[in-house]
Amino acid sequence: MGNRRTFITSSLGVAVLGGTLPLSFLRSVSAEPLPALGNSIDPRNVLVVIQMNGGNDGLNTVVPYSDDAYHRVRPVIGVAPESVLKFDGRIGLNPALASLMELYKEGRVALVQGVGYPNPNRSHFEATQIWETASPERPQQSGWLGRYLDRTYPASVKPPSMFEAVALGDTLPAALVAQHVDVPAIGSLGGYAYNTIKDAKTSAGALYDGAKPGQSPYLELIGDTARNAYHGGDALRAKVANFTNKATYPNDNFSNQLKLAAQLIGSDAGTRIVFVSIGSFDTHANQRTQQDRLLKMMGDGLKAFYTDLAAHQIDKNVLAMTFSEFGRRVTQNASNGTDHGTAMPLFVIGGGVKGGIYGDHPSLTDLDNGDLKFHTDFRAVYATVLKNWLGHDPADVLAGSFQTLPLV
Amino acid sequence: MRRAGFGGTAAEIAALQALGMEGAVASLLHPSGDDVAFEAYPANDVLYNANGGLQRSGTQNWWLDRMLRTKRPLVEKMTLFWHGHFATSIDKVPAALMAEQINLFRAQGMGNFRTLLASVSIDPAMSVWLDNRYNTKAHPNENYAREVMELFALGLGNYREDDVKNAARAFTGWPYNNKTQQIVFNPKLHDDDPKTFLGQTGNFGLQDVISIIVAQPVHQRFIARALLEYFLYSDPEPELIEGLAQTYALSGYDIAKTMGTLLRSNVFYSTRAYRAIPKNPIEFAIGILRYAGTTRVPSNLAYSLKRMGQEPLAPPTVKGWDGGPAWINTNTLLARFNYVNSLAAEAPPKADAPNIQPDAIVAQTGFDAPRVVEAIVSAALQDDVTRDVRETIVGYLTQSDAVG
Repeated sequence: MGNRRTFITSSLGVAVLGGTLPLSFLRSVSAEPLPALGNSIDPRNVLVVIQMNGGNDGLNTVVPYSDDAYHRVRPVIGVAPESVLKFDGRIGLNPALASLMELYKEGRVALVQGVGYPNPNRSHFEATQIWETASPERPQQSGWLGRYLDRTYPASVKPPSMFEAVALGDTLPAALVAQHVDVPAIGSLGGYAYNTIKDAKTSAGALYDGAKPGQSPYLELIGDTARNAYHGGDALRAKVANFTNKATYPNDNFSNQLKLAAQLIGSDAGTRIVFVSIGSFDTHANQRTQQDRLLKMMGDGLKAFYTDLAAHQIDKNVLAMTFSEFGRRVTQNASNGTDHGTAMPLFVIGGGVKGGIYGDHPSLTDLDNGDLKFHTDFRAVYATVLKNWLGHDPADVLAGSFQTLPLV
Repeated sequence: MRRAGFGGTAAEIAALQALGMEGAVASLLHPSGDDVAFEAYPANDVLYNANGGLQRSGTQNWWLDRMLRTKRPLVEKMTLFWHGHFATSIDKVPAALMAEQINLFRAQGMGNFRTLLASVSIDPAMSVWLDNRYNTKAHPNENYAREVMELFALGLGNYREDDVKNAARAFTGWPYNNKTQQIVFNPKLHDDDPKTFLGQTGNFGLQDVISIIVAQPVHQRFIARALLEYFLYSDPEPELIEGLAQTYALSGYDIAKTMGTLLRSNVFYSTRAYRAIPKNPIEFAIGILRYAGTTRVPSNLAYSLKRMGQEPLAPPTVKGWDGGPAWINTNTLLARFNYVNSLAAEAPPKADAPNIQPDAIVAQTGFDAPRVVEAIVSAALQDDVTRDVRETIVGYLTQSDAVG
């Protein structure tokens, strides 16, 4: 398996997806030359990673509504069976995810159940590091997406765009920490800027543009980076200026990130990886109010995002994937909340996703110290996305070998 | 001054110069005068506030303020060095324990490394951070022992898996009491059976393992390299490492003596060492405030530092900050530029914000534009600025009428 640059150079530029295409997709592109089915990857594919920050409670996200055990352990905070948006006779979605259910019914959502890893960590900080660096055993400095970028663009090869990967937020998440690829963290389009009074900006520009390599081994790096930082915001704003969002997004921080993500993806900024986040899902007390509000925010935002992308005819090239550092305890606590737990479900949405449910719901009676047992390693999901969506050898990024899932 | 502290005003630099090299190094290593009076801990309403954000920023500001105002810059810089070396994060550890750990680094950071490592091993913050509080004879937890070998004292490849297991056994029996916030040895939880560690066998406890570690030449080189990389340049020559390792070993693991050799050495003043490492964000941010002679830490400085890539008390992992070229990317440089812009742009200054207004400097000193530029590049950059750049700055100052 080659890296994505190989695909870029060898691709004929035709939209090509894996072998699991729903027929509806084939129909939708029938006006174009029929793509050759095979293992090639469309170089325009974009991955959007959604961090559900704080540890999302899986049992109230995908609800085993017909299981008596569920209602026994969740007498107050359990989701009433009649309100559940049912997948089948056993499980269904929290009603706050009505918009996500619409996407599911269109075949655009894969639900992966029982995701986790051995010896789960219950510290927010450490568990987040584990998920974002894909390294449960040892701390790692680089993130899983950072390593993907480093391997795709070795030190001597610059990514074609400085916005190849972006984190939408003020600081870089661990997932995107790379050794030599520079990933911008963009809090907002206006905020990603050199903030100073106008006339100072011109003079400062002259300083940075005039910076010459000197005796320090870092001067050249600093000079180049300073110029990128100085001019990058303006370049970005110029690139996205001609893109108009064609959907009405809810007005909240999460949707604002997705709106900007659509702008980046839909203009020629060259963006291929986007990291967004929503939270906090750390629902130790009065969980329903907080979690339901966030789930609705997430579902409604994603619905608007895919409506927008579809209106620009780029939805097929955008795959979104959720994760959270851990699920929560099976039994509710005394504050009508839940404490830190283990396995959880995650969603893979859009793009060439083969909609459906992957893996069984974890048992509520066969527990590990009161926690759900995982059956799908989160790195298997990463491996699937790397291999089948980004066309990158997972072994290059993840330590160990993980069976991919047939969801994309 | 830059590399042995956080920088200073032209007057402070001149005062050090007046002492001569020997005198200056001695005054940095063993400051005799009183330091500014600081609070030993952040206020209780910060440390135990229900608002975790205030605990975090309040504790960070408590330390940043000390870095800015201390008269013992090297002591504080070593405190920061050990914070990166024994990287512990407020993301997992309560603010009060973090403050206590910083005080430990300040109290012992220029002393004996064997003592320091022993203190860190039973430091509550470290014990929470790397789980040694759960390390018992019945259930050994190797987390702390492994990091001592890999990150704190020996380096990868200089020990075997069995050494980690046996060091962990020797480190058992130091539970943390949440109520008293103390660690007291409990012999019932300690594994007193014989163990083999780095080729030696005995009924080792925590002190024994640490004594065996510091006596290893690989450990001595490990510490020498860490100091050289922090104060001189990355990838120091093997003979340089060897030389400093010998000083360190002969001094009986004395950090002040080792640092004295480093600061007095020709290499410290060599061309290769001159501006060879990018300043870390904390030194950069504090340095600018010191050059400007201001004594106020901006209230949001810790968040600015986070954007620059070095949030104090919150290293990204137990490996600390990568440093070197890792400080430099578009986000972190933009954050550095905008931090400086924010200092100069606040007019009229907020009551609690430091302010570096060219106008104010002019008003204070009566200097004209070229002399303001001279003063700044002399204090901050030791005149190491090309003529073009000076002219650009002077041009800006005069053209925009910011300076009369």
